[in-house]
Amino acid sequence: MKPFRHFNAQSVDQAASLMAGYGGRACIIAGGTDLLGRMKDRILPSYPEALVNLKTIAGLDAIRAEDGVLRIGALATLASVAAHPEVLSNYRALAEAAGRTASPQLRNMGTIGGNICQDIRCWYYRGPLNRFSCLRKGGGRCYALKGDNRYHSIFGGSVEKGCVAVHPSDTAPALIALGASVVTSKRTVEAEQLFSVRLSGTTILEGDEIITEIRIPEPSAGTSSSFMKFALRKSIDFPIVNCAVALTREEDRVARARICLNAVHVVPRRVTGAEEVIQGRTMTEDVAGEAAEVAVSDAKPLEHNAYMVQVARALVKRAILACGG
Amino acid sequence: MTGKGTAGFTCPYCGKRFDTFEELKQDILTSHRGSPLPAPEGQIRLIVNGQEHVENVEPSWTLYHLIHDRLGMTGSKQFCDRGACGSCTVIMDGLPVLSCMVLAIECDGRTIETVEGIARDNHPLIESYVEHHAMQCGYCTPGFVVTSKALLDRNPDPTEEEIRDALSGNLCRCGTYPQHIIAVREAAGRLPGHKDSGGV
Repeated sequence: MKPFRHFNAQSVDQAASLMAGYGGRACIIAGGTDLLGRMKDRILPSYPEALVNLKTIAGLDAIRAEDGVLRIGALATLASVAAHPEVLSNYRALAEAAGRTASPQLRNMGTIGGNICQDIRCWYYRGPLNRFSCLRKGGGRCYALKGDNRYHSIFGGSVEKGCVAVHPSDTAPALIALGASVVTSKRTVEAEQLFSVRLSGTTILEGDEIITEIRIPEPSAGTSSSFMKFALRKSIDFPIVNCAVALTREEDRVARARICLNAVHVVPRRVTGAEEVIQGRTMTEDVAGEAAEVAVSDAKPLEHNAYMVQVARALVKRAILACGG
Repeated sequence: MTGKGTAGFTCPYCGKRFDTFEELKQDILTSHRGSPLPAPEGQIRLIVNGQEHVENVEPSWTLYHLIHDRLGMTGSKQFCDRGACGSCTVIMDGLPVLSCMVLAIECDGRTIETVEGIARDNHPLIESYVEHHAMQCGYCTPGFVVTSKALLDRNPDPTEEEIRDALSGNLCRCGTYPQHIIAVREAAGRLPGHKDSGGV
């Protein structure tokens, strides 16, 4: 790696002021598993002048349930989220998503804050030494549109420009399905509103804005959740499609449902149409199938990824049924 | 960390930031008078296989670079250098991590265990890996041994499924996977205190 300066932040304020001082020429490092790969391959035209380490900030990795809210510090590792008793008993979709991310070693290093902020995995964007100066890096075109797009968006590109790289997070759809909010050094946003398509970025966060905590309201009685992931390998792999569902039942009918797909669109995609289909109905395989059909009804696959529509349909149906009958 | 960065002056003791050097000086005189001198930037203190090391590291060095190239412990292997294969696995504070994706400068105060330490302690894994020939070319083997050691430390009697899960971040291009499960199961049986180990 090229030389850079390194700061161990002692507080969130200090980290934010360092980031502001460098004005976009520094990067935050938490687990580092996404960032260091990006730096080693020099995929971007620019290289960070400094890294600001958040791991030295005390208490940012705590997980605790209080006053009906589960509070997960942004620096909590994926392994600790997946193994936490409270997460395992009440937030099943999140436990499964965190436990299916990457590999055991990477889950000991990677944090939940980093997992939702991670950069896209498009192989043109990730080409070493900025080989493809694509739209997402401020270049002229999207190479995936005419090239090999087997792992790209089946719901079109970003609104303004046309980048079709998908958001690769496993925990993001689980957090959205569970109705989480994300607390940053500047504001609190719904997890659903966090994601955006930007130059070399996947969130709405400003350059000196730091995620400090994720809050998930305790699910109401009768709620269950599930997470499904389709990838080529069981371990060390990004999702081709994943899906998280949270269902609340009253008597034997579905009172509320939140369904979120990811890795199928430029941002995690909540499928409200499918949620409406199952609302107020008794869950059967046919009803779940109907919802799955609606979830992908507006899909516009590219040349090489029509199979992802089928996968997404199957995962929505299975994830709904996995919430129990 | 002392001196004029792009964003003012940083206190080398506590990391607090100041706009002018005078303010920094005043704060050090009032809050840190009598404290021992802070460690110079880039100096880390870590324990590797039970031995303490004080090293001056560059920010861009990975933990792998420090252990393998600077400390000369060549057991950990670099293969993908992107966190995708597990051959550089070391145990950090009890957990297996990938040394190619950890910055050395962030390892201050950490306790590291490498395959050299595991071999030195005559861990039963070494013998059972040899007996069951859980390798072909051998390049990935140290990573597997370290990951298995971390598993046995927290679960001395793992099931086949648990071994599969724990080793799922290690790649072997020779395809020796079935042998690892046999070797780890057998090493578990030889651990002191195990029901089949004949007591200790």
